[in-house]
Amino acid sequence: MHYHGERGRHHLDPLLLLVSVALTCYGLALIYSGSLPRFGSPAAVVRGPIAKQVLFLVVGLGVAVVLARLDYRGWRAVAPLAYAGGVILLAVVLLVGTSEYGSRRWITLGGFQFQPSEPSKLATILVLARLFADAGGRTLPPRTFALSLVLAAVPAALVFKEPDLGTAVVFLAVWLGMAFMAGARLRHLVLLGGLVVAALPFGMLVAVHGYQKDRLAAFVNPNYDPLGAGYNANQAAISVGSGGWLGKGWTKGPQTQLEFLRTQTTDYIFSVLGEELGFVGAMVLFALFLVLLLRGLHAAAVAPDDFGRLLATGIVVMVLTQVFINVGVNIRLFPVTGIPLPFISQGGSSLLSVFAAVGLLQSVLARRRLPGAGQPTSRLEWAS
Amino acid sequence: MLGGVIVLVFATLSAQLFRLQVLNQGYYRLQAEGNRLRLEAIKPARGLIYDRNGRLLAANVASPYVVVVPAELPKGREGEIYAALQTLLHVPAFEIEHEVAAARRRNDLYTPIVVRREVGLDTARILRERLAGLPGVDVRYEAVRWYPTGPLTSHLIGYVGRIEPDELNVLRERGIQSDERRRYQLDDTIGKAGVELTYEGYLRGLPGRRQVEVDAAGRALRVLAEEPARNGATLVLTIDSELQQIVQDILQESVRDLASKKAVAIVMDVRTGELLADVSLPTYDNNIFSGELDEAQYEALLRTPDKPLLDHAIAERFAPGSTFKIVTGLAALQEGVATPDTTITSTGALLVPRDYDPTLFDSFPDWRAGLGKLNFYRGLAMSSDIYFYCLAGGRCPELQQGLNNDRLARYAREFGFGQRTGIDLPGETEGLVGDAEWLRKVTGGAQPWYLGDTYFMGIGQGYIGATPLQVVRMTAAVANGGLLLRPKVVREIRGADGTVIVPPKTDVLRRVSVSEENLAVMREAMRQAVTNGTAAQAQVAGVQVAGKTGTAEFGRRLGDGSIYGRYQEHGWFTGFAPFDNPEIAVVVFHEQGGGALTAAPTAARIIKAYFDLKQRRAATAPGSSR
Repeated sequence: MHYHGERGRHHLDPLLLLVSVALTCYGLALIYSGSLPRFGSPAAVVRGPIAKQVLFLVVGLGVAVVLARLDYRGWRAVAPLAYAGGVILLAVVLLVGTSEYGSRRWITLGGFQFQPSEPSKLATILVLARLFADAGGRTLPPRTFALSLVLAAVPAALVFKEPDLGTAVVFLAVWLGMAFMAGARLRHLVLLGGLVVAALPFGMLVAVHGYQKDRLAAFVNPNYDPLGAGYNANQAAISVGSGGWLGKGWTKGPQTQLEFLRTQTTDYIFSVLGEELGFVGAMVLFALFLVLLLRGLHAAAVAPDDFGRLLATGIVVMVLTQVFINVGVNIRLFPVTGIPLPFISQGGSSLLSVFAAVGLLQSVLARRRLPGAGQPTSRLEWAS
Repeated sequence: MLGGVIVLVFATLSAQLFRLQVLNQGYYRLQAEGNRLRLEAIKPARGLIYDRNGRLLAANVASPYVVVVPAELPKGREGEIYAALQTLLHVPAFEIEHEVAAARRRNDLYTPIVVRREVGLDTARILRERLAGLPGVDVRYEAVRWYPTGPLTSHLIGYVGRIEPDELNVLRERGIQSDERRRYQLDDTIGKAGVELTYEGYLRGLPGRRQVEVDAAGRALRVLAEEPARNGATLVLTIDSELQQIVQDILQESVRDLASKKAVAIVMDVRTGELLADVSLPTYDNNIFSGELDEAQYEALLRTPDKPLLDHAIAERFAPGSTFKIVTGLAALQEGVATPDTTITSTGALLVPRDYDPTLFDSFPDWRAGLGKLNFYRGLAMSSDIYFYCLAGGRCPELQQGLNNDRLARYAREFGFGQRTGIDLPGETEGLVGDAEWLRKVTGGAQPWYLGDTYFMGIGQGYIGATPLQVVRMTAAVANGGLLLRPKVVREIRGADGTVIVPPKTDVLRRVSVSEENLAVMREAMRQAVTNGTAAQAQVAGVQVAGKTGTAEFGRRLGDGSIYGRYQEHGWFTGFAPFDNPEIAVVVFHEQGGGALTAAPTAARIIKAYFDLKQRRAATAPGSSR
């Protein structure tokens, strides 16, 4: 195989970096607006949540640069350990985690809250990438397929138990995307899909929490318990819908500023955008995400090996799924489930882990194959 | 492949976003406005009520009530606060806790929850001193009705209370609820009885409104627009509360030795139809209905046999007895059945041969034997039953052709019997004027109208029932030259700023179809009843009184001498004064009593009191016409 020259090894992809920072800045603007009602004055907002988020951005950028410089292939060896650490943390959070909005998702350490599911997603992507890459070849052996499913299902189940249905879905989506890219047989996937659909009603009975049933009912009928289960979904739809083409203006949305929205700097930050910046503002956000994701796809396409290609694929699927679920919940496309919008939502764990992911993509891009060198070893060629 | 999925995801999101933000924009904008804006009603002050001389009869006073504001309750100390409220206000702590929890679930943290209304000034003072230690608790004040004259005017003024669902339905039917400005809220008060009910539309005023921007927790942030409330109009009653007090005292005393304490006395201005005094016994204190109603007190009132809550002057019909002979007499004169000279001899009983067997006679007794030969004046003055049997039904040796049922009933209606007087008080009954057709209807044709029925009706018994107000109004029509007036208790309505909205006005319903000549005969006959007849007890020194007593049998004496029914006789007096230039008509009614024995002397005291009061006022305040 022929690698990109040593000179390009430390080269950062400017577009990927720019779009990541742009998204974060977009998020800062929305966090600022959404924090105004609670903090009262602009100064207090800047000193509080904005300063904190900027700090995370700086640290995140540092992490991204460091990871970009390191050879991503080094992670291949560490992947099982990282994965095990992630699973242990997820188990720990269930035991000693901090509850918020009825769900244990955080570990509090020295005044900092930390959400283990965020790094755990990356660890799982790494371990799956290694597993699939080790299997090699154009088709996936059934044993590898089964093992990969177990590897994804364990953290998904732990996260589901928190309960955090949205993140559990992200784990499974990442697995599905990576398994498909790694050459899983369509037959297996279809079979599995059928099983999942058949098990769904029983799963609902056993595993789904009462509040999740309420949320589902509220999703089907918006007037179901409008002050309880349906409240957030209703208020989000009202916020977004009342925004119109151009929105009511930044920091000028009554739904946001009078706190009809809740968790408006995290799970419902998209509603702030919808209300204050309108359809056009949302299209700008989507465009930024599209650039980012296409950059990720490009990384997968030019990756010098299967591990890098699968790593990039996993990251793209992770970001895509989170965007889809988060925005979908905000605009009544899905039942309510709390999940951060990457780059945008307030919170260090999410921002750091997504910048780490960007760093990994940078690392893959920096070690890309030279154009025309070698042949693709999987479906990726026609996928991108 | 993955690229396609990415495009699909964003296309889906964009399409749904387009649907919400562009296609359904208007719908969601409206919802957002509904979230943000709250329309609050500003309660107007209820109009005041005065008597005709400017004495305050209904006022608004501040009444303390206790609230908790969920948002201000300190976490962890709530139980302690509820316990303190339980001790002070006797409201169970769990009830307060329950309400607060419900408000929290609604995320309605800034709407005060009323723990207890009408806590009393002492409790309010104690609580206010302790407020510093009870965060989240507050003492607030609301206007409640206060009636300084209480039982003296309760039947006239009535009372107010919190609006009830069936009242809301009535308002809805009248279209008031669809008027955004005038609509009633569930915690509004509304007139329930008396003029508080009749004049609700004037007294209430017009609520103002305030558009407030609120946040999600319901906290008011700023007032965007405000329209002030317009306070209710002031009522000036026709009642002279000083006279009312005297009349009530006299009436109260008159029933002291009677078995039934149910009695009515009305003083009406014969020129205007205004009621100067209107007392119905027993009475009640309408202040108990202000604020929180004491259920036990209310139950007791409902259980009292003489029905204190009912205004017996208008709400119940009684046999008018001999006072009705005024109508029978006028009808006979006007119809040419009799003249002032028509002479009938009362032998103590009138014997009428039966139609189907003339050898058999029915006997109709007079109230007293040996009245002898009577002309029209003496017939009325002595209240001879036989004289009026003959006028009503004929078939007498000296008078074959009487009025008969249909003509008698027609004159009864002419004088306002059998129909509501239209007084501005709620709950009036129409009374009863029976005739052959009516009897056929109510008995399903089973019972024909007998001659005896006409006889009895001629003396105010049987199928005739009247309210004391109907009787006094009829008397006033005789006194004033034939004008049947609409009685009233509200003289004038003034705006909150003092301008007159509705000026005093006399409502003439009709001029009765009896000539002035015949009315003069009746007035003379009534005068003779007082000077030299059954109503002699109604004489007042210095005032020429004319009148008519009535002793209506309504129970029945059974074979063994016991009485079927509660009491045997009602006592009536109705009359007017002064005879030559009538000012007032007076009726006195005792549920159990005798016209000459109890009602006439009571009326005399009332008439004397009226003229004494008038004289005293003329002496102390020269120039005053009242």
